[in-house]
Amino acid sequence: MSLLQRDRDIILSNEYVDNFDFAEVEEFVKNASKNLFISHAFKNNKGKTLVQPRGGFPTYDKMHALYEQFAPVVDVLPMTIDSHTRLNDYGSAAKMLRLSEETETDLLNGYPLINHGYRTTRKMVTHFDTPVSLRHGTPDARLLIELAIASGVFEIEGGPITYILPYSKNFPQDKAFLYWKHVERVCAKYSTINEPINRESFGPLTATLVPPCITIVIQIAEMLLSLEEGVKSFSVSFAQTGSLNQDLVTSKVLRKLATKYAHKIGVTDATINLVYHQWMGAFPRDKFKSDSLIDAGAMIASMVGADKIITKTRAEAFGIPTKEDNAQAVANVQYTLNMLRGIPAFVDEEEEENLTNQVDEIFEAIFNDKADTLWRKVFNSIKNGIIDVPFSPHIINNNELITVRDKQSNIRIYKKGKLPISDKSFKYEQSKIDLGQNPNSVVNQIIKDIGVML
Amino acid sequence: MKVVIGVVGNDIHVVANRLIDISLQSRGYEVFNLGVNTYLEEFIDAVIETDAKVLLISSLNGEAEGWCRDLLHLKTKYKLDDVIFVIGGNLSVGEGEESQIVPQFEEYGFDLVYHQKELIVSLDSLDQFVQEKFGVLK
Repeated sequence: MSLLQRDRDIILSNEYVDNFDFAEVEEFVKNASKNLFISHAFKNNKGKTLVQPRGGFPTYDKMHALYEQFAPVVDVLPMTIDSHTRLNDYGSAAKMLRLSEETETDLLNGYPLINHGYRTTRKMVTHFDTPVSLRHGTPDARLLIELAIASGVFEIEGGPITYILPYSKNFPQDKAFLYWKHVERVCAKYSTINEPINRESFGPLTATLVPPCITIVIQIAEMLLSLEEGVKSFSVSFAQTGSLNQDLVTSKVLRKLATKYAHKIGVTDATINLVYHQWMGAFPRDKFKSDSLIDAGAMIASMVGADKIITKTRAEAFGIPTKEDNAQAVANVQYTLNMLRGIPAFVDEEEEENLTNQVDEIFEAIFNDKADTLWRKVFNSIKNGIIDVPFSPHIINNNELITVRDKQSNIRIYKKGKLPISDKSFKYEQSKIDLGQNPNSVVNQIIKDIGVML
Repeated sequence: MKVVIGVVGNDIHVVANRLIDISLQSRGYEVFNLGVNTYLEEFIDAVIETDAKVLLISSLNGEAEGWCRDLLHLKTKYKLDDVIFVIGGNLSVGEGEESQIVPQFEEYGFDLVYHQKELIVSLDSLDQFVQEKFGVLK
């Protein structure tokens, strides 16, 4: 028996899992409908931006009703997992699920997949025969992804950096790399028997003034760690930055460099997709303004040629949206996307060159780290500030990088901390910033820049 | 001047914490930031270890009320009378009256209490308090 299978046996013999049947699950994946694979949709849907909302409810019935509402308008169904499950606390999730069922109120902020089990969940997933995407935020997702795949959920979001640095204060970063390595291996294993399982990285990070070079470096790093283990379909992603220009430049450089670095580690047979998140920062409380913001996001997704867009709703500022609000938002985004066919190409050579240089300079430092494996190199780079995520709550994050917006709303690097970008790159960033002389102006500017959409 | 900062309790609101960090640094303080999700005992440990002259606790989700009741006890136990204790943010769960909240936290042992005050206004007032107490600016 392989070491991987031995680990899987141990992980699946969890008291909250009811007799996981490996052979039956493998047979299911092998014969599963192609319509369940987003990797298949990406391949056959060239040119169309797939639309995916967000959403997850605790009970099976409410989840089913949500999918019922979504089915006519969406291309990809979301399965957002509750926060107890994300922290591997299946006992609390079970209790809250029972209470939710008894009282008909939602006492969980997502679907507790482990407690529902794969046999039940699979019925729902196969019934809708549409790709489902697993959205979670779990540092140790080794059990969760087994049950997801066994349920017919063939897209797994997350990664060892993007699910740690924005979400956790002290989950050990090195452990996260190893847990996710296991996840990649399981995904790779299932990818050989039918269409590939698609892995997606979470590009928005903290969604708070993250400069594009950091987003791109982390997207590509997680992609490489995944491809290294044999994953054949991977989505890099980023969120609306608040600057149209920066979104366009980011998308071009991200696509170009993702392919370049995949080739650099010798992977040429993987499909790399681009996912665009509508604005992930603070939303206006005015629902008409929210509608405009969502429209603008749909338009930009179209301009960047995103393979998938993940939508927000006009209720964002007020909490978890209703299924009606959510379906309405999707319908509007579909309408806008359909309107915008054949958008002219856009080029900003100066900005593209600057961003490309920054990413290459950071990667040069990562690859030059003395560690023997890629995950250790990336781990060391986070530790020593070569990778620095603004507003990360995690203790490992360096927190020296400071960014502000320029007059065109582009996110610029004000203090580079230990970011190994060249003087030329840094000077370019500095030349765009105009803050005046007031010592309070940086903080004032940051407060204003975070709330740019309010 | 050394200052220890952080967000008390099971509170992960990191944005304001980072802004306080940046602001204090730009005002010349040496900042030891314990970040989000910090317990009262950890704050006290950090003050002792760093020999800080200011402890600035913040709270956004209103949990501070529950966490800070033991402050006076710890302050006496470790003889921290020379340290300036500051708390700021949103200090009550739900709607709270400032006229009630400020004396309540002063009773807990805080020298300065900022409930739903602007960051820069609060830090200006802290600067002034520091100057009056220690006779020097930082």
